[in-house]
This record gives sequence, C-alpha cells and structure tokens, in this order.
Amino acid sequence: MTVVAIEHLQLALSGNQVLRDVSFSLAEGECRALVGESGSGKSLTAMCLLGLAPPNAVLNAEQFSVMEQPLPAQGHRDWRGWRGRRIAMIFQNPMTALSPTRTIGAQLSECFRLHRNMDRRQARAESAALLERLAIPRAEQRLSQYPFEFSGGMLQRVMIALAVACRPKLLIADEPTTALDVTVQAEVLALLRELQHEQGTSLLFISHDLGVVANIADTVSVMYAGETVESASVASLLCHPAHPYSEALQAAMPRLHSSEMTVAIPGSPPDMRGTIHGCAFAPRCKHRMAICEDSPPLLASPRGAGVRCWRWHPDYPERWRLQHD
Amino acid sequence: MMIKFVLHRLLWGAITVWFIATATFFAMHAVPGDPLIQDKAMSPAVRAQLEARYGLDKPLSQQYFTFMGNMLSGDFGISFTQENRRVNDIIREHFPVSATLGIAAIAIALVGGVFAGSIAAHYRGQWPDKLVMFMVVAAISVPGFVIAGLAQLIIVRLNAAAESTVLPVAGWGGVNHVWVPALVLGLGTLAYLSRLSRAAMLEVLSSDYILAARARGISGISLFFRYQLRNALLPVVTELGPAVAAITTGGFVVELIFAIPGLGRYFVQAVQQLDYTVIMGTTVFYGAFLVVIVVLVDISYGLIDPRIRLSAGRS
Repeated sequence: MTVVAIEHLQLALSGNQVLRDVSFSLAEGECRALVGESGSGKSLTAMCLLGLAPPNAVLNAEQFSVMEQPLPAQGHRDWRGWRGRRIAMIFQNPMTALSPTRTIGAQLSECFRLHRNMDRRQARAESAALLERLAIPRAEQRLSQYPFEFSGGMLQRVMIALAVACRPKLLIADEPTTALDVTVQAEVLALLRELQHEQGTSLLFISHDLGVVANIADTVSVMYAGETVESASVASLLCHPAHPYSEALQAAMPRLHSSEMTVAIPGSPPDMRGTIHGCAFAPRCKHRMAICEDSPPLLASPRGAGVRCWRWHPDYPERWRLQHD
Repeated sequence: MMIKFVLHRLLWGAITVWFIATATFFAMHAVPGDPLIQDKAMSPAVRAQLEARYGLDKPLSQQYFTFMGNMLSGDFGISFTQENRRVNDIIREHFPVSATLGIAAIAIALVGGVFAGSIAAHYRGQWPDKLVMFMVVAAISVPGFVIAGLAQLIIVRLNAAAESTVLPVAGWGGVNHVWVPALVLGLGTLAYLSRLSRAAMLEVLSSDYILAARARGISGISLFFRYQLRNALLPVVTELGPAVAAITTGGFVVELIFAIPGLGRYFVQAVQQLDYTVIMGTTVFYGAFLVVIVVLVDISYGLIDPRIRLSAGRS
C-alpha cells in the first residue's frame, strides 16, 4: 500500500509560491528522507501533511493522499481522525515541544485517552510501559515529572513516545536529532529505526544532514526552492547524484579520511518572494544551458531516479554528460 | 522546603510591616496639629486632662514604644474622634465590607481580563482584537471616579426607563449593591490584565508546544485550558499582587462615591482629622494585609509553574 502519495503539491503564502512542485511517494514500512537547505520547504510539506499549514496558505495538488485516502482541506475539522492517530510528528527541539507546565505523564496519557479511549488508569499504565520500551529508566516515577527535569535526549524519547503512542501509519520526523549532541543522536536514530520496523510504520525523515540520512533512510527526495528536484534510493543519490544540486550537496559533505576541502555551492537560493522562471537552480549550476530558461520536466535517470534536470532529457547528447562528469 | 520558603517570606513581611508602622508613626506626628484640635475651643485644663488620658503628654519615643507594645499584643487603642470606639472594632466591622468589594473586583478583573485578552489574541489584528484594545486604552485612561459617576448616571437612567429599581445607585446591603462598584473598581485592573494576557497568549500561541499538541490531535477546549491558558496565566498571576494593592487603594474612592461603609472611609477621615490611633491601626492593617497577599501570590506561582516550585524549594 502506498502510505503517502503527493503529486504536484503547490502552496502559496500571501501570494508567494513557497512550494512550487513537491512530488514523492512513500510505501508501507519505507523510510524516505526529505533533504534540502533551510527554506526549501521540507517542514512546510510536513505541516501540510498534518493540516497545519498557516491559515493564509493556498494549497493545490494533483494528488495529496495518505493511505490512499485524500486528505481534508488545511485547518478543516476532519483532521481529527488523522492527527496523532494515523499521522504523527516528532519535532526538532524536544525542549520547546512539550508544555512546560504539565507532567510528562499527563501529556502522554492524554494521547491514549484521546485516541484510544482508555480510562485514566489504563492510560497511565500504557504510558509507563511505552516509556520503558523506549529505554527511559524509572519510567513510572518519571511520569510525574515535568519536562524541565529531563535531559534533551530523554525528552526526545518522550517526544517519540508521544508520536508512536497510537501506532500511526505515517510518522514524520522533522530533524529529530538536530538539537541533540552527537552521542545521543545515534541512540535516538537507532531507537527510531527499531520502532519503525517493530510497528511497520512509514517514516518521513526530514533532515539536512546527509550523514544521518545515509544511516536511516531507504529513499531520498532532495528539495530545492519548494521543489523536489531528485528522488532516488539512498545509495544511488549518494554515489551517483543525478541532479546538479544533489551533486553539489554531496560534494559539500565533509569527509573523514580526506584532506580535500568541502566544496561550497556558489551563490544563494532564490528569493521565494518573486516568481521563479525556468530551473530554480540554474543561476548556481555549473552545467547551465540555454534551455534551463524553461522549467525542466520530471525525467528518469538511467539508474531509476526521478530528476528535474534537462541533462537527463533523451535529446541531451550522452558524450556531453560524460565530458562534464 | 515550601514551609521554609513561606516562613522566610513572612519574616521579611513582618519587617516590612514594622517599617511601615514606624515611618507612619513619625510622619504622622511630624504633621502640625493633633487630634485634640477641634472646632470648639478647649480650656487648657481640659486639654491637659485629655492629653494625659491618651498619653500625648509623654515624650514621643515613649509613645512609640507604648504603641508598638500594644500593637504586638494586637491592640490598636481607642479612636480619638469616634466616641471611644476601639480601632480593632472599626476594622472588624468595616473591613469585611471592603474585602467583599475588593474580592469581587479582583475576580471580575481576573476573569474578565483573561477572557478579553484571550479573545483579542485569538482574533489578532481582526475587529474583536481592535475593539478590546480600544476599550483597554479607554478604561486605563479614564480615572475611576469619572467611571463611577458615569456608572451611577447609567443606573439612574436605567431605573427611570424601567420605572423600578433595577440596580441601587449607591449604598450597601444585598448582592445587587456589589456588582456595579466592584466592576468600576476592577475596571482599570481588568484592562491592564487583558493587555497582559493578550501578550502572554500570543507568545504561547506561537510556541512549539502548541503546534506539537495540535499535531497530536488535541484541539478545542482541552487545547485552550490545558495548554494555552495554563501557560499564559503565569505573567498574569505575577501582576495580581500589585493589582490587589491598586484595588485596595482604589477602593477608598469608590466606597466614598457609592456610599459603601467600608474601611477606606475611616482611613481617609482619620488622616484628615489626625486621628492617630485610627491612622496607625488602618495603615498597619492594610500593610500586613498586602504583605500576606504578596506571599500568597508568590505561593500561587509555584502552583502554576512547576519550575518555580522547585527552584524556590532549593533556595
């Protein structure tokens, strides 16, 4: 079953086209990473999947469905059955994503009571069991503690617990390890992967860290200026990036056993307040051609990636491609 | 730990009250004249006799220690102008009236302020927000005695239109006597608290935990009470101490205009007539009252915000 199918998702915020063309799909049990720099529209795409886009947003999509059912309009009442129940989200900063004035237990058992109609005692027992499952020591006592009494890593486990409490079909993790220090990052990632396999959840993993992505994801979609420019398997993207932007991202990754400097991408991302004509990456692209004035369609690379670049057009001479590579 | 914290605050409160008492005592005696200056002329013999009776013939320092000693045993003495009434009796009889009015005013200010602030924050930039903010500016800028007069005028018109007494214009007695003066008294504080809670609410609304709670499917009433209100209430509670002080002092004027037999009237009269014992009694009483309120407000922070509860315990 396709858990997420998004085709040609567009979103305008007060007249500015912020998401221009987002298309990807997510199979059951698959983990897809959404990578790209800040402002490329990763988090906004996630918010749309929860119906939490800003109130002035105008959304447009050819297909926008989860579990083969079209999603309600943004901000509609019908989201109740989706949020927290079938779609859940883990936020970037666990320190600010929990209400500071309520205990962990109150916030966690609320999920069980709301979505699984448990009574107070059942919900509390279930909460304790879940925290224990997530390797939080002394779970029973910790339920009556407040967020400020937890460390960052422990809080992110609580956030994960809140998200997986109702065994959602789709779990969105928005940079879940960015606010944590490196040793804790690895633990949290391992836990997330474990839970994903255990519950058969599909995971949409938002990140800008290709190292973390290589660790957890099966497939990757690269976003640039509100567009998915390349969708491929992790191996294919990291070893043979098809889009010039993916290529540049990969070249910008620091390497452990190399004295080479990382290569920064020249220029800066386009201003989303104006209309973008043609390929958004063209001004920074080393392969720029005259045809890049026109928007490239979604093309298939020989390795099976979907890529939005004229260089993969059948009419593009093969020898040019080799010459540049 | 909580008990230690409370005792600590109360000890400082006692020192504050002592300071208030001392300062008032000497300031009061520094004012020219004394309570025995009356309209009628008094023969020196009578005057000397009265001075001896009230202890005014003794040196000031001795009077001070006598007064402090009596105060510690809970006795504020006898009024100079109120025909031998004991100050303790005056407070006991009239403070409940002031307290009823004050509590009603605080309740109206708190509930009304938080409600108006929440509405304004929810409809930020739209007409309900603009309306609330306009009313806030009006309520803060117009002095209480003007609003009191206007309120009485409206009641008079209302009663005339209904050809019966819908609401009493002034006086004290039933529940109906409380509403209007309490609203007038609490209006400034209500306005101030609505601005405060609007700002606090806006901050809460833009926070991550509200977004996260909504992403978990929490909405409507439970989102408002459990997540928004609870977190937005802390800055509002912080202002309750000063609000009680404002309402206490504002009460003097409102009691006068609405002819309410509260303690405020005695306080003002005593200052005008230099009724030493009543001045001292009411000042020390109000001082102690405000100190207790501030301690209660401090304790209530801890009930609302667990972070304060713990750090207060550690200190």
